Amino acid sequence: MHASLRLPALVGGIAVLAALPFWTSDLYQLHLAALIGAYWVLVSGLNLVVGYAGQLSIGHVGLLAVGAYAFAILAGSLGWNPELAMLACGALGGFAGALLGLPSLRLPGFYFAMATMAFALIVAEMTLAHGDLTGGGTGLSVPFFSAPFDTPWGQYWLVLIVGILVSWLTWNVASRMWGRALIAVRDSEVAAASLGIGIFRLKLTVFIFSGVTAGVAGALFASLQSYITPDTFVFEMGLFFFVCIIIGGRGSIIGPFVGVVILTALPELVAPLAKLGHFFYGLTLLLVVLLVPDGIGRLLERIISFGRHNAQESFAIEPDLPRLSRALDGKAGVP
Amino acid sequence: MLAVIVSGLAIGALYASVALAYNVMFSTSKVLSVSTGQLCMLGGVFGAWFITGLGWPIWLALLGVIVLGAVFGLLTEVIAVRRVLALSDEHLWLLSTLALATMVQQAVGLWWGTEPRPFPRLFPQDFSAGVLDQKYWLPIALVLILVAALELFYRRTLWGKLFIATSEDAFAARARGIATDRVRALSYALAGIIGGLAGFAAGQLTFAYFALGLTLTLNGFIALAVGGLGSNLGALFGGIALGLLGAFATYFFGGEYQQTIAVGLLLLVLIVRPEGLLGAKRVRPV
Repeated sequence: MHASLRLPALVGGIAVLAALPFWTSDLYQLHLAALIGAYWVLVSGLNLVVGYAGQLSIGHVGLLAVGAYAFAILAGSLGWNPELAMLACGALGGFAGALLGLPSLRLPGFYFAMATMAFALIVAEMTLAHGDLTGGGTGLSVPFFSAPFDTPWGQYWLVLIVGILVSWLTWNVASRMWGRALIAVRDSEVAAASLGIGIFRLKLTVFIFSGVTAGVAGALFASLQSYITPDTFVFEMGLFFFVCIIIGGRGSIIGPFVGVVILTALPELVAPLAKLGHFFYGLTLLLVVLLVPDGIGRLLERIISFGRHNAQESFAIEPDLPRLSRALDGKAGVP
Repeated sequence: MLAVIVSGLAIGALYASVALAYNVMFSTSKVLSVSTGQLCMLGGVFGAWFITGLGWPIWLALLGVIVLGAVFGLLTEVIAVRRVLALSDEHLWLLSTLALATMVQQAVGLWWGTEPRPFPRLFPQDFSAGVLDQKYWLPIALVLILVAALELFYRRTLWGKLFIATSEDAFAARARGIATDRVRALSYALAGIIGGLAGFAAGQLTFAYFALGLTLTLNGFIALAVGGLGSNLGALFGGIALGLLGAFATYFFGGEYQQTIAVGLLLLVLIVRPEGLLGAKRVRPV
């Protein structure tokens, strides 16, 4: 996109999203839009880990579950102020991310993926084991946020505000702060280390950030669902987040966002896909990896740039003949 | 106490079998497939379906599971590994095998149902045998046979030597005229057979359950990493250690912390010996 068009497009997009509740009278669609927003809060943080730093975390659903249960316990069982509880969930998610990241980020690719997967299973185990806190297999009901965020509209706008904030933070990290360092780590750790990038610290920082977003997303998600059980947070859900990023294209921000929207909305719009459930996500992932490993976003970029005529500026270079002749006459160095 | 040890050994034997399947695939392709555990799941579910659903005799069901495992192993190689290895990105095989594993698990879940179903008895034996029950000794016997058979295969047969040559140095093997692509495809079929047999033998222990593959993928990998990547004896040790640890933990603390303890063991071993107990030292990446 052209730089001059970027800001108007951004403002326009936000305006459209903010006005969304006025178009649709269907509460279910609004709920779906809010759900997409909550997923996006998690995915935007995860995108830094997967899409930029190239760490294949397939168990982020564990961090989401931590946030969701923390919100249900703090705001529900203990009666905290919900907004405060959401912030606490972010902090707890970050802490859990640090706990998971500290040992596992040192491991090579496949080991790391397995460690995150194990984390998701461990969280599921814990929620079942500590039934007095989490309600065990029956689960917990989750309170709404306080006014004005307790209506479906209010919920949507709260998600929108958090989503925009998180997107802005992510965009800053990716384009202003460490984006290139992260991409360097993704493409070659050895080369990145030789350039003096502190690989482990960088990875851990980004991972903790993704833990914070996952915790906040968990709080939003739990409140939207209004009831959570351990069955909500199956491992395949973590896979879904992962597929959103891969399908959107790694190393971009708008791509995964489109990925979340498409993958959440498609099964709702196309009934046969809903029957297939997680099989559909697996199939999508396989097709993307085999056909467009760079992701749909890259593919679109390529199509657009293919269709656009790029003017080639050329600079004619002519020899400075007088100066050359002076040099040949032995008067070199004379200006 | 004896019952705890025996059940730990049996579960450990199953993990070790998964680790063996990992090893066979890893040796020729340097790919750790996320769909490894699904091989066992298929062996268990289809074994139960062949016997109880279709009423096949035991030997035919066993043959069916072997064929099915080989076919699915080959499919894994053709769909998820072959094209991806040609691309340079090292992480893509993880994604493609993960996608395949998910598809298989969900497809079985849609067709077979998401509830664990009982697995039929393979030998006439009444249920009063206690620790000598077939559900315990079948997986243990199988993994011992598998380790021995693999050892013989690698040392005594030409094909085994081709496998070893490919795993040592694929380029050199190609230069010597070995069709490394075919060797790789065959190794996946072999891993499929191993996984299918393991799932079939341990079916009475695990039940025919669609989500079994995920935990087996994880625990088989932990057994492999503890024992050392690429070592079959290490896989056996790692699996047994993990199984016994899990069984004792269940006996003393209850069964809620299985996964936590397994991961704890993995981290402990990785901190002390990153290459595993019997693994070869990894070379630096530069």
